[in-house]
Amino acid sequence: MAVDLIELARPRRRTVTDPQVDPVTAEVVRGAMETVCFEMATYVSRTATTPILNQSNERNATVLDAQGRLAALSVGIPQFMLTSTLPVRFALEFLGVAEFREGDVFVANDPYHGGGHLPDYNVFAPVFADDPLTGVRRMVLIASIQCHHGDTGGAVPGGYNVTANDVWGEGVRWPVIKVIDQGVERRDVLYALQVNNRLPDYIGDLRAQIGAAQLGSRRLGQIVERHGIGVVEESVDFMIDYAAERFREEVAAWPDGTYEADCWVDHDPLGHQDVHLHVAITVDGDRLRIDFTGTDARQDLQAWSTFGNTRGYTVAQIAAMMDPEIPKNEGFFEAIDLIVPQGCVLNPHANRPVSAGTHHPGAEVGEVIALALQHVLAHKAVPQVYKTGIPTVISGIDPRTGQTFTDHSAEVYAGWCNAAEGMDAWGAQAAAFGNLWKATAEINESLYPHIQWSRDYRIDSGGPGQWRGLCGSHYVKEVRVDARVYTYVVGMKYPMPGIAGGRPGEPNQLTIRYGSDDPFVVAHTADWVPIGAGQKLCYDYGGGGGWGDPLDRQAQAVLDDVLDEYVSTEGARRDYGVVLTGSLDDLTLAIDPAATEALRAERRTGR
Amino acid sequence: MSTTDIGPPHLGSRIGVDVGGTFTDLICITPDGQVLLDKTPTTPDDQSIGVMTGLAQLAERFGLDLGTFCAGLGTVVHGTTTADNTMIEQDGAAVGLLVTEGHRDEIEMRRVHKEQIWDPSYPAPFPIARRRNRIAIPERVDFEGEVLVPLDEDAVRAGVRRLRQLGAESLAVMFLFSFVNPDHERRARELILEEYPEVTHISLSHEVMPRGPEFERTSTTLVNAYVAPRVSSYVGGLSRRLRDAGYEGELLIMASTGGVMPPATVARRAVALLGSGPTGGVMGAAAAARRAGRSDFVAVDMGGTSFDICLVRNGEPEISIDWNWRYRYYIGMPMVDVQAVGAGGGSIARVRQGSLLVGPESAGSSPGPACYGRGGTVATVTDADAVLGFLPLTGFAGGLMTLDLAAARAVVNADVAEPLGIDVIDAAWGIERIVNANMANATRRVLAGSGVDPRHLDLIAYGGNGPVHAWAIAAELGLDRILVPKAAPAFSALGLLVSDYKVDLTRSYVTPLSRLDLDHLHALLADLEAEVTDELDPTGLPAEAVVRSRYVQMAYAGQNFDMSVPAPSRDLPADAELMELAERFHDRHEADRGFSFRDQDPTVRGVRITALGRVAKPLTLAQLGTVTDAGEAQTGSRPVHFGDGFVDTPVFDGSTFASGAHVRGPALVEEPFTVVVVPPGASLRLGEHTSYELSLDG
Repeated sequence: MAVDLIELARPRRRTVTDPQVDPVTAEVVRGAMETVCFEMATYVSRTATTPILNQSNERNATVLDAQGRLAALSVGIPQFMLTSTLPVRFALEFLGVAEFREGDVFVANDPYHGGGHLPDYNVFAPVFADDPLTGVRRMVLIASIQCHHGDTGGAVPGGYNVTANDVWGEGVRWPVIKVIDQGVERRDVLYALQVNNRLPDYIGDLRAQIGAAQLGSRRLGQIVERHGIGVVEESVDFMIDYAAERFREEVAAWPDGTYEADCWVDHDPLGHQDVHLHVAITVDGDRLRIDFTGTDARQDLQAWSTFGNTRGYTVAQIAAMMDPEIPKNEGFFEAIDLIVPQGCVLNPHANRPVSAGTHHPGAEVGEVIALALQHVLAHKAVPQVYKTGIPTVISGIDPRTGQTFTDHSAEVYAGWCNAAEGMDAWGAQAAAFGNLWKATAEINESLYPHIQWSRDYRIDSGGPGQWRGLCGSHYVKEVRVDARVYTYVVGMKYPMPGIAGGRPGEPNQLTIRYGSDDPFVVAHTADWVPIGAGQKLCYDYGGGGGWGDPLDRQAQAVLDDVLDEYVSTEGARRDYGVVLTGSLDDLTLAIDPAATEALRAERRTGR
Repeated sequence: MSTTDIGPPHLGSRIGVDVGGTFTDLICITPDGQVLLDKTPTTPDDQSIGVMTGLAQLAERFGLDLGTFCAGLGTVVHGTTTADNTMIEQDGAAVGLLVTEGHRDEIEMRRVHKEQIWDPSYPAPFPIARRRNRIAIPERVDFEGEVLVPLDEDAVRAGVRRLRQLGAESLAVMFLFSFVNPDHERRARELILEEYPEVTHISLSHEVMPRGPEFERTSTTLVNAYVAPRVSSYVGGLSRRLRDAGYEGELLIMASTGGVMPPATVARRAVALLGSGPTGGVMGAAAAARRAGRSDFVAVDMGGTSFDICLVRNGEPEISIDWNWRYRYYIGMPMVDVQAVGAGGGSIARVRQGSLLVGPESAGSSPGPACYGRGGTVATVTDADAVLGFLPLTGFAGGLMTLDLAAARAVVNADVAEPLGIDVIDAAWGIERIVNANMANATRRVLAGSGVDPRHLDLIAYGGNGPVHAWAIAAELGLDRILVPKAAPAFSALGLLVSDYKVDLTRSYVTPLSRLDLDHLHALLADLEAEVTDELDPTGLPAEAVVRSRYVQMAYAGQNFDMSVPAPSRDLPADAELMELAERFHDRHEADRGFSFRDQDPTVRGVRITALGRVAKPLTLAQLGTVTDAGEAQTGSRPVHFGDGFVDTPVFDGSTFASGAHVRGPALVEEPFTVVVVPPGASLRLGEHTSYELSLDG
């Protein structure tokens, strides 16, 4: 029952050996396919019921060719852009092409059959057209849409069972099932999906996805009809070649060599300490090899990142370090030679639990790659990382309805956003998560019995540097009813690292029953920790790392930061060697140039 | 002095004045239905100077002095870009914000949104109020309006003093749930006026945008605070000039909803002017389409730098309430949903790494395309149009310009043909295909938001380059019928006068339907009714010309989009009213989204009133010629490339066409400011409604 995910990810044969299509036509076809992806994603937003889909943008639409190679995409979150290709490939190989019929729609969510984690549902539909060469109607493309759902069955609501022993404990697995058979809905199958999920809206959301895949299939059919099968297939191969070529050109400009780095996740949800990631990145001409040999392979760990997930985070980080205009398609991924030994936390043996591991060590894949490449690409080394652990789930009985509520704390807060060369970090999260659209107090306080007292930036929490990391939020929430908290916290021992001489951001810390005489500071996991009506939880989210030596930061910029209370007067002196006179309260702050110069000189020589 | 002997025909005339980047356009419609157009250069430093110059020109055409002319006017409606210019030039007021403690940084966090997900070096938007200018105030109200923490008045006073010390002149107040309970914001205004009586402007978030959520309201309120001082001083100045000139009516200002606002409302909600620029054009297009009997269409305006798209259904432009971003700030105002992409005549074509890209960078109008001969040195869409034969080389742009074909060929060759290793004609055609595909894709994306299939729509094309490219865009979209209104050059000004007055107001009230307090609901609706009356009063419309619609905004728990459900009448018994509301919501959800959850208790999110004040429409939109047999209007022919080699193509002078004149493609029909391209196999006919009807199917 073990599917070889590495084999699944291997390059697929090209459809056209030597595409003769002209670049303008290929570009026109690519634009049309990306527009279809946008239309599919928009369809889900318009028709889904739950906020996670219609509001937070956790969805990805893609077009694959008949081999399961990525042709075009509209992406919600870069890290997840790849998880839609492997489930389709599994379906193609398991069922065989003959089982893909016009009007079919498939559903898949299993991490060990190509997916990310169980709550990510992939829905896909083939596109058929008449082949003028053979006179036969055949599959040309596949439209696919992937969305994160709020539940997936299993022991714990929400899809994150961080004490599960295996993937079965995390939720229901659907390697691939046909929900629409040649245009006819399979009610038995849809009903089975429905009863294996806690959320009443789940099936509505899944229907939105099915509708989107059908729309995508229809629209792609129009494009194939307009341009012809030959032109479309040649255009797909042309654009894949083009992306691969542009990728190799970028790599060729990097200095040859092998660059290594290590990073750690504080612990897994069971408290196993210091989950270790090691990478060796070899630049050899225009070849890029990323090798995770040496990464933690303790078999008793709880949180694992499947090969597909690891590959997605790898590609997302590399994409953030390249020209943003290179098309994201199969050519981009195939150009990376990725080595992840079977059995390490980044490529588990089958059926290990993954719900927490998707995020950690998943996210740290990006971190360790940025750390390795900072030695040669310092100006592009901005880890596209989060240190979320899993969402902070609060559950209790809502007295207004008498029903159980499950609050995933999906509110906006700032954290873990690193600076880039030439730019202080800004906003709330790294750029890769910029498509998220998180909830606010005025949305969630009417849905859940809580009060959001604060999410302001924490002073001095941004990593010092020539360019400053973003401050993390001081996030305080009061529950208005008795409730319990379920979560997993990382980033305490290992906060966001600085780059190129920048300093790390402040670490995470979560305190349940904050301010009471019985506070619970989360060490690794909160397993339904009680919190009483009127009590608060406080999540001090970690800051982003700084970029470059903080002693090189312009003193005026430090003064401005103090005026804006991103940095304290003490922080200016301690972290930046900038001495200020006067007071913030009466706006008389000024730089003491002589003292600053002297202090900075002393710090430099003291190293 | 007046020399008319049949009485002054201008008495009661309505004037539309639209300030554009280059020209200020004026339109005057007399009570007997005559239409006069005029234009004068825009005066960027003080737009009102150009406005008054234009009015003087119009007065002269009636043989009147400015005073007599102005004294006799019925209404003056004005479209201004002052708010947009303030954001573009980033020279608005110094703004300070008083904000609920703990929520000081919403404006920077932007609900996590960043525009460029692949670019970690993409910079932050310019700050309207830096963090030091955002003062946290202890106070808190919950979602039902209950006070959890009373307003700390000392903190407000101290905050105001600090903001004053920091040089803030325009103050904004943003307290959580102020749209449910505005007491704290109102009290803050009193305290501001006590501490800082000479403050230039105060923006209270619940007045600017009376709904949640807080990021959207913070952003909207800050932008309002930033632009309001300059906008209200401009509007006040123009009102004075008009009054001094003898105008006795109220000056009405076009808002981005397509409605108009009196100066008093502008002073309070200047942000509603933002993005109003393209609105007039859409309203003009809607008027032309209505005249031609078309009600469902997509309006596309292709100018020099941008391609503006707006979906119109049932004759009404789509209004977008969510996701209105302007200048990287969220504007939580209903806006006519005009979306722009960087595709225009000036869009630059270049080859990057073997791939041909067109736009979004633009050569604009200066230096402009190389063929303008104004120093442009890079290939643009207009250069490609010239190379392919679509444009007249002499008499371009109303006879103002001669095009330099050799220059166009040279840049297309150097920038595109050589890098791609193809000849200059293929290169020009490549530019054409890419820009047309970009515009078609952008149009599809706009339609996707409403789930509309373009094949069921007409295309209304205008702007200098719209009629040149309409045929190709339509073909990409798979639609057949295109309308090119002759009145298009006057659309922006015309739109000001044909727009029905629209008021669209909402109040938040969040509760499960089962616990809805009907008295409270109807009290909110009554409040809104009173506001509607205040806003429409200055338009002088008779009550019977105003249609009001009352809605309850509803959604299923957790849904992001509200649905407007017609409010049941008050005379039903309470439980019947609730049941009626639930039924209407489920039915509507079923009809619009294809499903409903009849066993769920829907959430009420607020009330909404829209009021539509219908204005009298002009009798004619454009003057037609007298030639019914198009052959008589042929002025020559030239070779044109429609994608399959050059074909000799007859050229017609469209300005001489009478209604009913028709041509078959290939043909070019030249108008003073554009060319209508009729490809082989298509046909074109000028309708009595003064628009060209182009059918690709022939």
